[in-house]
Amino acid sequence: MITLGNYLALSGIIFSIGLMGVVTSRNVLKVLLSLELLLAASNISFVAFSKFNGDYAGQLIVFFVILVAAAEVAIGLAIVVLMYRRLSTIQADELRTMKW
Amino acid sequence: MFPVIDWSLVSLEVLISIILVSLVVVDIVLPKNADKDWIGIFSFIALAGLIIFWLTQGSLSGTTFSGMFVMDSLAWFFKTFFLIAMVFVFAMTQEFFKSLGERRNEFYLLLWLALIGMCLVASSADFLLLFISIEILTISLYVMTAYLKSDALSIEAGMKYLILGALASGFFLYGISFLYGTTHSTHFSVIQSYCQIHAMSPMTLFALVLIFAAVGFKIAAVPFHMWVADVYQGAPTPVTALLSVGSKAAGFIILIRLFFSIFGAWHAEWGLALAILSAITMTYGNLVAMFQTNIKRLLGYSSISHAGYLLMGAAAGTALGASGINFYLLGYLFTNLAAFLVIIVFSIATKSDEIADYAGLSQRSSLLACTMLLALVSLAGMPPLVGFFGKFTLLMAVIKSGYIWLALIAGVNIVISLYYYLMVAKRIYVDPPRHTAKIIVPSKIRLLLVIAILGIVIIGIFQGPFLDAAMAAVQGMYLSHL
Repeated sequence: MITLGNYLALSGIIFSIGLMGVVTSRNVLKVLLSLELLLAASNISFVAFSKFNGDYAGQLIVFFVILVAAAEVAIGLAIVVLMYRRLSTIQADELRTMKW
Repeated sequence: MFPVIDWSLVSLEVLISIILVSLVVVDIVLPKNADKDWIGIFSFIALAGLIIFWLTQGSLSGTTFSGMFVMDSLAWFFKTFFLIAMVFVFAMTQEFFKSLGERRNEFYLLLWLALIGMCLVASSADFLLLFISIEILTISLYVMTAYLKSDALSIEAGMKYLILGALASGFFLYGISFLYGTTHSTHFSVIQSYCQIHAMSPMTLFALVLIFAAVGFKIAAVPFHMWVADVYQGAPTPVTALLSVGSKAAGFIILIRLFFSIFGAWHAEWGLALAILSAITMTYGNLVAMFQTNIKRLLGYSSISHAGYLLMGAAAGTALGASGINFYLLGYLFTNLAAFLVIIVFSIATKSDEIADYAGLSQRSSLLACTMLLALVSLAGMPPLVGFFGKFTLLMAVIKSGYIWLALIAGVNIVISLYYYLMVAKRIYVDPPRHTAKIIVPSKIRLLLVIAILGIVIIGIFQGPFLDAAMAAVQGMYLSHL
């Protein structure tokens, strides 16, 4: 029997992987990917809570989150393209003209 | 059955959306390569109309969209604030982007989009709407930050802002999901009644910390401040001005709604934590600001320290504290925008944001020098300017709530901040100029500089009606817990 705890553990693991990815990745594309994982983790916990609490609001929120995540990654990729054109790199640690 | 929607409550947002859509059409229809800045002129006329309309709507109150959208005195106060800030930002944009040609048209549209986001933040009564409106605001800010696509600093700032901003919204959403799990709702009123009955559990504490991380990112509180200095320095200056005033105020209205209504019942748990955070934030901001050589970066660290002062009001947890936040922000609006107006005119004339280049500014333009001096001295908190009374109200609030140590730390910080603000003033007035060419201030900017100076001086001297307005905004708050 899969319980709410299992789903929350899954979302917690995915959130931690995403967080580690954002903090440790040097490649900006990997960072964007990890940011998506953070939002996916929230989606899992929303749906799990929605299922086990017995109301639909959580599932509805997920649709809005997917939309926002798509907008965010679109802007992110656009800035990565700009960065590649101007600085010829997509390594996050090359962004050090100003002190990070 | 569909719920009845009261459209009069959402009139401002609807009008702004109509303006935004019609500006998109105008932008497409008008011939390209037009020298005239049509979008900018239309934007100004529309904004002036909106402000006149909005000032007559002070009595609006109620909720609509099934209680997701709330219009109360606090929302009215902050929307007025955002509209005034936008007048300045539009004028800065017109000057700053003169060289960009038609590419600046999209920038105006992004500014309108950010304005919608800020207004919706002020009116959110549900975490779903709050999340989406924050994203509308920040996503348009990401684009604007990276807007100077040939400038490596702007791209770098945009990338850093996007990564840390998206991280903050990830935290926010994860926090909301746990709050939703425990209270079975995302609506403020349901969560508030849950908090009044139940004590804080580990799960709600976890959710509260995550949500606060996202708000702390918006208001630039330590330890969520890493983006501030770089983004302030790299972003186009009008965006920096919007970030330092609009985005920060949007963060503070969320903070007021969180701590003075939703989680108000748990004041005993979070009061001390906020006080400690406030002390750390102001000390960090002021200490690091002393060593800056770039004026935008200096104002970035000064903005962190002001977030610390403002957090004092939240830590106090009383109506006086909340109204102190409102009043302080009102003063901060005029003071900071005055400083950024000077920075923009100066950087257009000299292509520099270095403090060293400000030497002898008083001989090159007495209006710019005088505005900058007033703004810096008001930021430092000298009477009788508005910065002084803002700090005074907040200090009163924390002392009345029993945080005497916090008031002492704030006092020490005000002295530290005097040092670096007056160092800039010394450069402007005492040091000999490197170049002697006069700086010409465009007449529109001159008018706005005078308005900002009047704001700094008049609100400082006749603070009574403005303090009353700030207090009234708090007292009429939806779901108030004071």
